[in-house]
Amino acid sequence: MSAKLEKDWREEGEPFFPNHMLDQGMVVFVTLAILVTLVMFFPAPMEPPADPFETPEHIKPEWYFLSAYQALKVAEYFSFLGAWAPKALGILMQAVGILALILLPFLDKNPERHPRKRPVVIGIGILALILLAALTIWGKLS
Amino acid sequence: MVEQEQKETKPQTQPSFEQRSGLRELFELFSLTGFVYGPLDERLDIRDALEKNLKKPVPHHVNWLFCFGGISLFLFVVQGVTGIMLLMYYRPTVAEAYKSVVFITNNVPFGWLVRGLHHWAANLMIIMVFLHMARVFFYGAYKPPRDFNWVTGVILLTLTLGFGFTGYLLPWSQISYWATTVGTEVPAAVPFIGGFLSTLIRGGQAVGQSTLTRFFAVHVVILPLVISFFLLGHFFMIRKQGISGPL
Ligand code: HEM
Repeated sequence: MSAKLEKDWREEGEPFFPNHMLDQGMVVFVTLAILVTLVMFFPAPMEPPADPFETPEHIKPEWYFLSAYQALKVAEYFSFLGAWAPKALGILMQAVGILALILLPFLDKNPERHPRKRPVVIGIGILALILLAALTIWGKLS
Repeated sequence: MVEQEQKETKPQTQPSFEQRSGLRELFELFSLTGFVYGPLDERLDIRDALEKNLKKPVPHHVNWLFCFGGISLFLFVVQGVTGIMLLMYYRPTVAEAYKSVVFITNNVPFGWLVRGLHHWAANLMIIMVFLHMARVFFYGAYKPPRDFNWVTGVILLTLTLGFGFTGYLLPWSQISYWATTVGTEVPAAVPFIGGFLSTLIRGGQAVGQSTLTRFFAVHVVILPLVISFFLLGHFFMIRKQGISGPL
C-alpha cells in the first residue's frame, strides 16, 4: 500500500484488522467471563414441577414482561367503563406502544441527530424509559 | 540539537500495513488450504474480498456504546450453541420435560453449565438488545436512510422476547406452567378474534401437551429460522449504509 493511500485511510478511521478485531475479541471474552461467573454463582433455577391442579399464590412473568403485566393490572382501574374495558384497553395500550416504536422513524421528521437539538423526542423517550422502569419495579413489588 | 539529529537518522520507510498487522500471516494460513493463493482464489478472488473487508476502516467516532449490537449477536450465537446441546437431552413431553431438565442439571457432564449459560445468555441478550436500541435512539441513528433498519430492529426485539416467552414453558415447572397460563390468557382480550387467538397459541382450551409441543417447535425451529432471516437483513443494511456518522 502506498504511503499516501495509507495516510488517507488512517484519517478515515481505525483499521478493522487487527485493531478493531482485537477490541471485539476482548468484548467477547469479557462477556463470556461474566456469563460463566453468573452461572457459577447463580445457577439456573430449578422450580418444583408443574401441577395444573394447584394454582400458586403469586404468578409473575419473567422480569422483562413485568412492565406489560403491570400495565394490564393498571388497566383494571378502567373497569368503571364496563366489564370489557380493562382487558381490551390494556391490550390496546401495548399495541399502541409497539406501533409507536415501529413508526418512530416515520413520525419523527426532525433531521437533526444530536440529542440536544431534538428535545421533544428525547424527552418522550426518557419519559417512556422511566415509565417502563417504574412499571417493572411496581410489578416486581406488587 | 542532538535529538533532532537522531530523529533525522531514523529510517523513513515504515513497514507496510500488511506486515505490521499480521495480515500476511493470516493470508498465509488461509493459503495453506489453497483458499487465498491457490486455484480457488484464481476463480473466486477470495484474497481481494478478504483484503477489502479486513481493511475497511472503523470510523473514529465509534465508541463502546456501539458494541451492544455485536454483543447481542454474540449472545445469540451462544444461545444457538448451548440450545443445540440442550436438545440432545431435553424431551418435550408433559411426562418427561421436567425430568429431562433435572437430568441435564444433575447428571449430564457439564449439563449445569450448558443450561446455566442458556439461562443467563437469554437474560443478558434481552438487556443488550435493549441497550442497543437505546443507543440507536439517542444517537438518532434510526433516521433515514436507516429507518427501515429500525423497523427490522423492532421485529428482532419482538422475536427475542418471543424466544423468552416460549422458552420459559419448556422446563414444565410450576412457574413456567402458570406464567404461560396467565400469559396466553392475555390475547383472549383482543376484540372478536381473542378467543380464537388464545386457543391457537395454546393448541386447545388449557395449557397442556399441545401447548408444550407448539412452544417447543416455535422455540427451536420457527423462531431461529425467522430471526436468522431478519438478522441477515439487519446486517446487510448496516453493511450497505455504513455505520451512522458522528453526531
Ligand atoms: C437480535 C437483536 C439485534 C442484533 C443482534 C443487532 C445487531 C446490530 C449490530 C451488530 C449493529 C452495528 C452497530 C451497533 O452494534 O451498534 C446494529 C445496528 C443497528 N441496529 Fe441492531 N441489532 C439488534 C436489534 C435491534 C433493535 C431492537 C433495533 C431498534 C429497534 C435495532 C436497530 C439498529 C439500527 C437502526 C442500526 C444502525 C445503527 C447505526 O448505523 O448507527 N437493532 N445492529
